[in-house]
Amino acid sequence: MTRLLAHAITRRVTGGPERGLRGRPLEQISAGELGLWATLWDGEPVLSRDDAFAHHDLVGVLCDAGPCLPVRFGTWLRDEDAARRSLEAEQARFVAAVDRLGDGREVAITLLWPDAPSPEGRGHAVTASGRAYLERVRATQAVTDERRTAAEALAARLRRELAVDQADVRHESCPSAEVALSMSLLAPRDEADALKARATASVGAIEGVRGVVSGPWPPYSFTEELGAGHGG
Amino acid sequence: MTARLAALPDEELSVLDLADRLLNRGVVITGEATISVGGVDLIYLGLNLILTATESIAQKEARLR
Repeated sequence: MTRLLAHAITRRVTGGPERGLRGRPLEQISAGELGLWATLWDGEPVLSRDDAFAHHDLVGVLCDAGPCLPVRFGTWLRDEDAARRSLEAEQARFVAAVDRLGDGREVAITLLWPDAPSPEGRGHAVTASGRAYLERVRATQAVTDERRTAAEALAARLRRELAVDQADVRHESCPSAEVALSMSLLAPRDEADALKARATASVGAIEGVRGVVSGPWPPYSFTEELGAGHGG
Repeated sequence: MTARLAALPDEELSVLDLADRLLNRGVVITGEATISVGGVDLIYLGLNLILTATESIAQKEARLR
């Protein structure tokens, strides 16, 4: 059985890469003004870590050629008719999104706490009693709340220092015990490296967290509102 | 888990950050598409993110089937 593994949506174009993942044929399925780029996939739809990064490389090539929307990795379509119907059904929203994102690139900032949240520093020693347990839970929660507040302050600081428009920033505070902040910034392609350099300088000046700045990448984080159940 | 992330070099953290975006972000095509990665090794790819990715893929598969 041949399926389609989707990679990106672009304006309908002539030409483009011919090979998709694992050297398999790459197709542009067109509908209206749009083209959906997908690898023709024979056999079981089982993907690997290498496939994920090959998808990223291919999306990068497509986005370098013109405005594009990265499709979530692992998106399968039964055949070309199904792909065409999907494009037609979402035509207006996808066209608007392609135009809005243009040649935007994503720069990612991740801030890590130096350690996991712990109430130990507040004098709450670990004991076996129920009361002590509850106090420890409350203290841990207080530390977590403090960290969330601190993370939000860091997000505001970075947004201010990097002078990025509200619409061009996504962030999540404390997405896990180790991560203080996960932030994505959108910049025009020819300004993305400069934004990354400024972000690296800003992150380096923050004390008490470890910061990593990554990218530029295709604008993965700025297509989320196009997900299922969202209105555009 | 704490020791693992903190011990990673910046380059590896960037790779995990990218993996998180590949697995959890990007356009979701509705209607006739399904989302499935199928490979066990992929669930160890992401950052926090590892668990988030696994969970969201499972939810997405259930919703889109």
